[in-house]
Amino acid sequence: MAVLMDHFISWMIAVPFLGIATMAFVRDQEWIRRIAFGATMVELALSLFLWGNFDFTRQGMQFVERVEWMPTFNIQYAVGVDGISILLVLLTTLLCPLCVLCSWTAVATRVRAYMSLILLVEGAMIVVFTALDLFLFFMLWELTMIPMYFMIILWGGPGRIAAGLKFALYSLTGSLLLLVGILGLYLEGGHTYDLLVLSEQTYSSTTQFWLFLAFFLAFAIKMPMVPFHTWLPDAHSEAPTAGSVILAGVLLKMGGYGFLRFCLPIFPDASAQFAPFILWLSVLAIVYGGYMALAQSDLKKLVAYSSISHMGFVTLGIFVFNSQGIQGAILQMFNHGITTGALFLAVGQLYDRTHSRSIQDYGGLHKPMPRFVALFCLFSVASFGLPGTCNFIGEFLVLVGTSSDSFVKVLLAMAGIVLAAAYTLWMLQRVVLGQARTPVASRLPDLNWRETATMIPLVVIVLWVGLYPAPFLNVMDASVTALIQHTTGGHSASQLALGP
Amino acid sequence: MTLFVLIPLLPLCASVLLVLGGRRWGEYGHRIGIPAIWLSFGLSVFAFLEVLNNGPFSLSFYRLFQSGSLVVDINFYVDQLTVLLLLLVTGVSGIVHVYSSRYMIGDPRYNRFCAVIALFTFSMVALVMSGNLLVLLISWEVMGLCSYLLIAHWSERTAACAAATKAFLVNAVADIGFSFGIILTFVTFGTLDIQTILAQAEGMQSHTVNLAGWLGWDLQIHPVTVIPLLFFIGAMGKSAQIPFHVWLPYAMEAPTPVSALIHAATMVNAGPFLLVRLSPLIMLSPVAMTAIAIIGAATALFAGLVSLTQSDIKKILAYSTISQIGFMIMACGLGAFVVAIFHLLAHGCYKAFFFLSTGNALQSVQAARGHGETHPASRGTWPLYGGAFLLACLPPFILFSGSYESLWGVTGFASATVGFWIIGLVTVFVTSVYLFRSVTSLFVHAPRTYWTTSGQPALEERSIHPRFVDGPILGGLVLATVLVGVTLALFWSWFAGFLAPAVIPPGASSGAGGTEAGSPVWIPVALGVAFAGWVYAYSLHIRPRPEGSASDRKKTWLYVLFWNKGYFDEFYDAYLVNPNIQLAHWLWRVIDMRLIDRAIHSVASHSVLFAQWLWRIVDIKGIDRIVVGIGQQSVGLSRWLWQVVGVGWLEQKADQEGSRVDVAGSFLQEAEARTIQHQLLVMILWLVLATGTLYLLV
Repeated sequence: MAVLMDHFISWMIAVPFLGIATMAFVRDQEWIRRIAFGATMVELALSLFLWGNFDFTRQGMQFVERVEWMPTFNIQYAVGVDGISILLVLLTTLLCPLCVLCSWTAVATRVRAYMSLILLVEGAMIVVFTALDLFLFFMLWELTMIPMYFMIILWGGPGRIAAGLKFALYSLTGSLLLLVGILGLYLEGGHTYDLLVLSEQTYSSTTQFWLFLAFFLAFAIKMPMVPFHTWLPDAHSEAPTAGSVILAGVLLKMGGYGFLRFCLPIFPDASAQFAPFILWLSVLAIVYGGYMALAQSDLKKLVAYSSISHMGFVTLGIFVFNSQGIQGAILQMFNHGITTGALFLAVGQLYDRTHSRSIQDYGGLHKPMPRFVALFCLFSVASFGLPGTCNFIGEFLVLVGTSSDSFVKVLLAMAGIVLAAAYTLWMLQRVVLGQARTPVASRLPDLNWRETATMIPLVVIVLWVGLYPAPFLNVMDASVTALIQHTTGGHSASQLALGP
Repeated sequence: MTLFVLIPLLPLCASVLLVLGGRRWGEYGHRIGIPAIWLSFGLSVFAFLEVLNNGPFSLSFYRLFQSGSLVVDINFYVDQLTVLLLLLVTGVSGIVHVYSSRYMIGDPRYNRFCAVIALFTFSMVALVMSGNLLVLLISWEVMGLCSYLLIAHWSERTAACAAATKAFLVNAVADIGFSFGIILTFVTFGTLDIQTILAQAEGMQSHTVNLAGWLGWDLQIHPVTVIPLLFFIGAMGKSAQIPFHVWLPYAMEAPTPVSALIHAATMVNAGPFLLVRLSPLIMLSPVAMTAIAIIGAATALFAGLVSLTQSDIKKILAYSTISQIGFMIMACGLGAFVVAIFHLLAHGCYKAFFFLSTGNALQSVQAARGHGETHPASRGTWPLYGGAFLLACLPPFILFSGSYESLWGVTGFASATVGFWIIGLVTVFVTSVYLFRSVTSLFVHAPRTYWTTSGQPALEERSIHPRFVDGPILGGLVLATVLVGVTLALFWSWFAGFLAPAVIPPGASSGAGGTEAGSPVWIPVALGVAFAGWVYAYSLHIRPRPEGSASDRKKTWLYVLFWNKGYFDEFYDAYLVNPNIQLAHWLWRVIDMRLIDRAIHSVASHSVLFAQWLWRIVDIKGIDRIVVGIGQQSVGLSRWLWQVVGVGWLEQKADQEGSRVDVAGSFLQEAEARTIQHQLLVMILWLVLATGTLYLLV
């Protein structure tokens, strides 16, 4: 037991790779799927155990492990979780079993490779979200890109090659900037990659400016923020269902996580300096993403553009530097993973049946597929933040946080929510309601038990976070408080206390 | 006391059970909903008695979340206002449940219908009970969702789907105001608990918030002045006030029981309820009071005039609802909150009854058509006349009870008195005209056009035929409404005294709060006007009218204006909806595809071009030439060497090298044939090996 508890995160990292190793010896496709599902479920159980044993009241890192890796360069294998990362670890481990389930029959060729890619991404993501060493972080950040690239180009839609290339090039550009930033930080910060050491030091404002810029661009591309977003609709729409779910549900969160873990604590002055600019970019992303989604006739692209809009809330919340904003942003990352993941799963279920992503090819689905429609409607309204569902809590907190910055941004972001309601309901009207536009659409079979089982956990979480978000906010409370104290140095207390 | 938590929970449980059971409930969905709703009605009666005897109480549920200084508890606050609305909501909902168990039976989505109206009842109950603004917003929106789902109930009909989307979106726009008001409230008061806010409101009048601080400007506003306006924008959406009224007439696509429950009796009353709930705060803002009164009056008048010109009975009723709520809003704006609530309760009962009678009539018309009869059945006419009569009498009583005159002095509207009275009288006249006209035209003439049910299965195909008799349902309904009406009318002063604590700020100086019934002179006048309207409508109906005059009348621009509902829909489509969709397409095509994406692509293609240039110039012309030169030179050198030295062993060496290269080539070919997964495994192996080597080396 001690071996398990002392190296808990290492075990979590190891499980997916063990799964891949086991699959290498199995020939039967059904068993490969079962092993992949088993590995992801074990991973989920481990992360729930982590959640259960996590001490909410402590501010610092927990479950920390440190091993010297390359002492000459001060590179360590160092992992640990705090209140910010634990939700994202949970999100990752939650979505991966669903990804395996949703591609159970949809992927019939090269099953072993596909399942290994899912497990590989999962393992890499867990390291990314727990790494306390910048070098380790960077290596695995890079590694997440490779499986995604292969997933897109091997199992994707008709335009997969171009989309994969675009995704890879964008990601590589971001990674290059990140590498530059990390190396610069290594040189400036006393030749160490240790995150905790680096964030305790102070840097000159010029250093902060340039290094922040490098980190910011890398994360902004991953996020993606508005001028850097064009890889996302292509990659999402061409990727297979599990690819879209992982991409939207987990990979995008690396950007937001990067802001919280690196930009804010290490470069507090530069963050404050850039904040007005980033806040406007976020508002732009919210409104612009909404307009983009309104113009789409492709279901997956619509969901992809809505992701851009929702991720705008995340950056908006992060860069107002107060507790509601940042808690809202983290919760919004989690919620976005759940709802957008669910929407991609739903669109994938439609795609499996008709092999069409075009809104024009559906209509009147409520008749042949009532169960699907009930779930799809729930996730759609959750996606635009209907009160009582998870996104509302995140967005509301972000808006409350933003109100300490400016009311105009709050109003514009609210206009973005109305746009979200507009494109979502218009989409529902054309896909779910009315009469079937094609003969195929009127005879589609409803969800089978496996597909329903894929969606049920997400329904539970959507309603749970919407109606009782306290556990999710409590878990991050201490860490966020520490982060804000660290970032603002306590001098923005007056800014927060707008009340009497 | 904690038992009262069951009032909202019972409908919620019913709804959850119905959803989970799905189609297994078959045609027995109402067996879950009806007992749950009536139980919660019973509990509401007990809550009423409790409040009557012991005053307001609050129930706390659980802490929703805490983030920094923002603490949100789910708690219910039950006071005089709440219990009255609880009685209305659960009572009407129970009646509608019973009614729709007959009306909707045989519908393919009967079970879904039952689940959604139960959920709606839950959210409306939660709305009137909520003691926290965020909880209020949540139930406010869930109610909107239920309305959406029910409008789209017959979702084969394109019009129904469009109406549902429209209803939700109009409300979403209005809810910007509401949500923003909530955020501003939090910024100002530091809490979202309604009673705390109301208690603090008086002392916060001089507090200011800088709206443009981020620009470095100084744009100070008084939040206490602005917040009521923002809340009122939300109320305008839900209660269909100008200019947000456009969704309600379209919402009539919903099944008739839904129109009765949601779009007449309960949900649309959320606006006046919100204003009354926050009345101590709203009274502090004269600007908001003026705006509320003006918009209420304008809506009442406009909607009344529009409903004069409409020909669809449900549309007439919808506009009449808009008009009546306009009255309530106007009463709120004049400070007559008690009157508004009285009107709200009475109107809720009568309008629900009216709609259900209309549903009966429509069904019997349909049944008559189904059996090949041409003359519509005229059963159930008398309750309609009765309802129309009661409804027409209501506004005069409300408007001219004079109970708020004392407040006009306080809020400074004395100069506007005459204007409002004139508007009020005109509206009273119009109301009674359209009510009687619609009833008469439906039941005395055969309907010229009637509401087709193209998308639904025909009556004959249904498994159970609806049996509509002037039986227990209708009787009970009439009895209930009459009882409520008579009770309220008789005990007006008692009612006002009962409600007074809920609408007067704790510790406010104005003791009476306008509960005195004054100037009885006006009531006969107003009633006379209403009666004149009735007579006018009747004379229009019985007087044989030459065709020419009717068409002349229809040519006047005023008639056309109101017949087209003031062109609001066309205006919104042309100036709001379409431009936004076009903007979206333009942005996508021009900015996203042409600007950003093309820039990225051009970077890519230019780097390829640059690489080719580099290849041509540097590689081929530069380095290659040098290499070739070196090669040629070395060949020359070797030739020279060959001539000088013997080269037998050198040739042998060269052969060996050549065969090794061959081996490498075939290995590459093999590798290509392997699966991608093997390559991945190899890559991982290499990564592991490389890491290990690095570790060992270092």
